[in-house]
Amino acid sequence: MGRPYGLLRAGFPFYKTLGMRRLTNFPIDIALGKEGCLYILCRNRDASTIRKYHIDDKDLGTVGRGLTWAVAIIADSEENLYVSDEAKHCILSFDKDGKELGKWGEHGDEDGQLNGPAGIAFDAEENIYVADSLNHRVQKFTKDGEFISKWGRFGDGEGGFNMPWGLTVDELGDVYVADWRNDRVQKFTGDGEFIFAFGKSGSGNGELNRPTSVAVDEHGDIYVADWGNDRVQLFNSESRYVQKFLGDATLSTVAVEYMMTNAGPNRLRDMADLEPQKYFRRPGGVAVNGDGLMFVADNGSYRVQVYQKQAVPLTEEQFSAPRRSPTLHQE
Amino acid sequence: MSNTDIALMAHLMRRAGFGATRAELEDYVEKGYENVVEDLVEPERCDPVDEDILHRYFGSFEAGYVEKWMYRMIRSKRPLEEKMALFWHHVFATGVGKNQHLLASARQIDTFRRVGLSDMREILLELSKDPAMIFWLDNNENRKGEPNENYGRELLELFSMGVGNYTEDDIKNCARAFTGWTFAQPPPLYPQGFYDAKFVFLEEDHDDGEKTFLGHTGNLDGDDIIDIIVEQPACAKFISRHLYNFFVADEPQVPSWHVTPPQDPEAIETLSNAFMESKGEMRPVLRTLFNSDFFKEARGKKVKSPTELVTGILKLIGTYERPDPGMGKYSGATTLMGQKLLDPPTVEGWHTGREWIDGGTLTERVNFAVREVSDASRPGIGEIINRLKAEGRALAPDEFVEKCLDLAGPMTVSDTTRESLNKFAESGGDLDLSADNGSEESTDRVIQMLQLIVASREYQFA
Repeated sequence: MGRPYGLLRAGFPFYKTLGMRRLTNFPIDIALGKEGCLYILCRNRDASTIRKYHIDDKDLGTVGRGLTWAVAIIADSEENLYVSDEAKHCILSFDKDGKELGKWGEHGDEDGQLNGPAGIAFDAEENIYVADSLNHRVQKFTKDGEFISKWGRFGDGEGGFNMPWGLTVDELGDVYVADWRNDRVQKFTGDGEFIFAFGKSGSGNGELNRPTSVAVDEHGDIYVADWGNDRVQLFNSESRYVQKFLGDATLSTVAVEYMMTNAGPNRLRDMADLEPQKYFRRPGGVAVNGDGLMFVADNGSYRVQVYQKQAVPLTEEQFSAPRRSPTLHQE
Repeated sequence: MSNTDIALMAHLMRRAGFGATRAELEDYVEKGYENVVEDLVEPERCDPVDEDILHRYFGSFEAGYVEKWMYRMIRSKRPLEEKMALFWHHVFATGVGKNQHLLASARQIDTFRRVGLSDMREILLELSKDPAMIFWLDNNENRKGEPNENYGRELLELFSMGVGNYTEDDIKNCARAFTGWTFAQPPPLYPQGFYDAKFVFLEEDHDDGEKTFLGHTGNLDGDDIIDIIVEQPACAKFISRHLYNFFVADEPQVPSWHVTPPQDPEAIETLSNAFMESKGEMRPVLRTLFNSDFFKEARGKKVKSPTELVTGILKLIGTYERPDPGMGKYSGATTLMGQKLLDPPTVEGWHTGREWIDGGTLTERVNFAVREVSDASRPGIGEIINRLKAEGRALAPDEFVEKCLDLAGPMTVSDTTRESLNKFAESGGDLDLSADNGSEESTDRVIQMLQLIVASREYQFA
């Protein structure tokens, strides 16, 4: 299915909260599995783990260990998991039950070597793009770690990077990179040809402060985890700013169950200003699925916030031609 | 560049910072001692640590806070900012063990970093509004008609003037002035983690009756109390003695100060005068201190705190140019040596000087230092080996000892220590680091020599 001609944006309400402290500690990224399953990458102080979770807020246990400073997680078509570890300079893989399948990558700056690998993403052939963060470049590998190609260098011009973090590949094969220290997102073809960049340093709408993650949905909408501004921003496929999400969390089901047996914390919550609890704190990864759900790893608040996109595709007849200028005339 | 200059600069950087690599020392000497002092006391001249980098790698908020702080200590271009944060942490000792709110304790250190080089009035004001301190000394329970005197008492006894400079009535009225200084209840840790506690003034809990404090009478509040304290010569002397104890030479423990005079009254007088003249500004006092003869002549007169020992070794081995998960183990190392950062044992803080050392902690200190210098792949160790190689000739045993002492400090050692080092050096003959003459063995000898040096009695002193 191709992208719609236009989009009627009906809304994007908050949907639910998943996880809590102890279960989903310091979530940094999310991979979407099948049948409502998600894999939440939790980056703890000295060890990172993968928490298998269900969208019904059910904890299915830890399925990946042996990670140090994990950054990103993706799932392939068989639901095998691939995780980047920027301390070990490698990509590790696990099956969906946590059995380690392999590991590739070595520290260095030659072709195929890695220095602080961060974001990872599959293309349609399940090759893996890696944001090779401290080498300020993107590298492309087969799933087994065979080097295919690379692009990028340190800098802030077109195709230059400064510690890129997250990346994603859309259904057309184009690659979007959260260029962390340049406060922007860059879009490339799958071969690394520059297409466009958007974002600049700041906290206004459309501005970015150390973006960590980028995702693209079936409509071509671009979601950016704006880490330093504690928010997620939505841009359309041409990079025009649409809206921002600051966080609307409620207590998750597991959190409510926990609180029911803890009198002290209930009293403290009653005494406290709870408004800050709904906001994102340093969002890490953002992921979207085919049902219009947006999942945000709310890193500082030990949880995942989920939003539901409500949008109707428009045909050419339902969406007038583009305008160069704004108008006050009502048609 | 004379060895004397290098040694003096190394002394300055050990005390005003956490040590320096040899290359850094050479750059500092090039710049000149007084200019370096200016950079230290005016840290805004140098770039700050990139907070985003710290949070990206070590985690945001309270996560990994001690690792982040230790990383700052060894990498910041503003080392005195970090040293003053540690200084105030010693003086205004607040334990996370009581509050169990790591974020509040972390924020307190952030505050010490932010205002630690400002003036005593601002520092005491921030301290009095700090939620970790308020909870530590129960000021959250200090209300009109039912005062809790804990904070008022320690503010005078341990934080600003010392025993003997106020009366019990002064304590009572000080406490009354701080009634209503509390914090808003933050949400609990579960299920969503720590949230900031924020200072609030509760008018309804404040005692606005007349109070007399150190001869001043009126409707005094906490601000007025702090103004009065900072004007007192006793405050100048007390803080000066703390600074002397922390930066110059070990003094006896604080509780004995009212009966034991300072070892160098003239130095305390000099610092007190600078304090009074500047109305409690810390920068002029520290400028006076670091440029004084009593400071320059105080090499080896302080036992390194565990934090100083660990960070000094990390500077020597020249590692952790970037954040690394390996930093995590160093907070554990200082704890084993008797200093758990963010968690001093009591409101008196850590007992310093020779009390850092006992049979157990000495073993930890020596083992840690020996272990850390044993890896030739560490950049700082490699640099020492390269400098020895750069001599371009074999070094006689006494030269080998001298060069290693120089590059590891420079350090001055006793005859007994030197005799032991010479004995080891002589057992292997001349040191030849050229590849044709078994450099691997020679490298091992250098490492063993460094291990002996950092295990020496003298290395325990700053």
